Amino acid sequence: MNEDDLELRNLTYARFVELGRAPTAAEMAVAADRDRAEALAGWQRLHAEHALVLDLATGDITMANPFSGVATAYRVQAGGRWWYGNCAWDAFGICAALHQEGRIETYCPDCGQSIEIAVRNQHPDDASLLFHCLVPAARWWDDIVFT
Amino acid sequence: MNLFRSGEHIQRWLAGREPGATIPVEKLSELAHAWWEDRLSPRWRPHTADSNQAILDRLGLTGDFWRLPSS
Repeated sequence: MNEDDLELRNLTYARFVELGRAPTAAEMAVAADRDRAEALAGWQRLHAEHALVLDLATGDITMANPFSGVATAYRVQAGGRWWYGNCAWDAFGICAALHQEGRIETYCPDCGQSIEIAVRNQHPDDASLLFHCLVPAARWWDDIVFT
Repeated sequence: MNLFRSGEHIQRWLAGREPGATIPVEKLSELAHAWWEDRLSPRWRPHTADSNQAILDRLGLTGDFWRLPSS
């Protein structure tokens, strides 16, 4: 990753947190003092390096891990805002990235019953829950949306 | 990568598919904090595969399932 792309990546994450949502390529062009095509080309290189995930058809950010650019089953309240995590791992990751306590709301994929977890001092308040990862680590990026 | 109410719920959800790996939610939180805590730092640099593997190893997430591809 070259320094220009690293700067764009860091600006993109900072803007995501400021806005509480994924910035658009046009917004990032302004923030990074580039034109939109340059910002989008930079995002595409970051996508290729797994530094974020784009919807290649629209150019919108799908994932700036651990944050999701789209609605998911993992809602996280942290730092005075609601966010979406890409998965259970990322839901905790939002608290970690923000260095905040938080609250995660989701549901059991088997029975549909709601699951609510408070994260305080990096610890969940319900130790009975289990995390299941279906895809082996070597294949996580084969299809990151499925993973 | 989902949270479940119990191992029985995982088995039912798998519906005969080969299981992956299951860890307690407390371990997941520990993993997430180690993995993501620097993500918003202005000094962030891409993690190497070795550094990510070291996080997994340190948390006892070892074996073929948790083996990352080398970069």
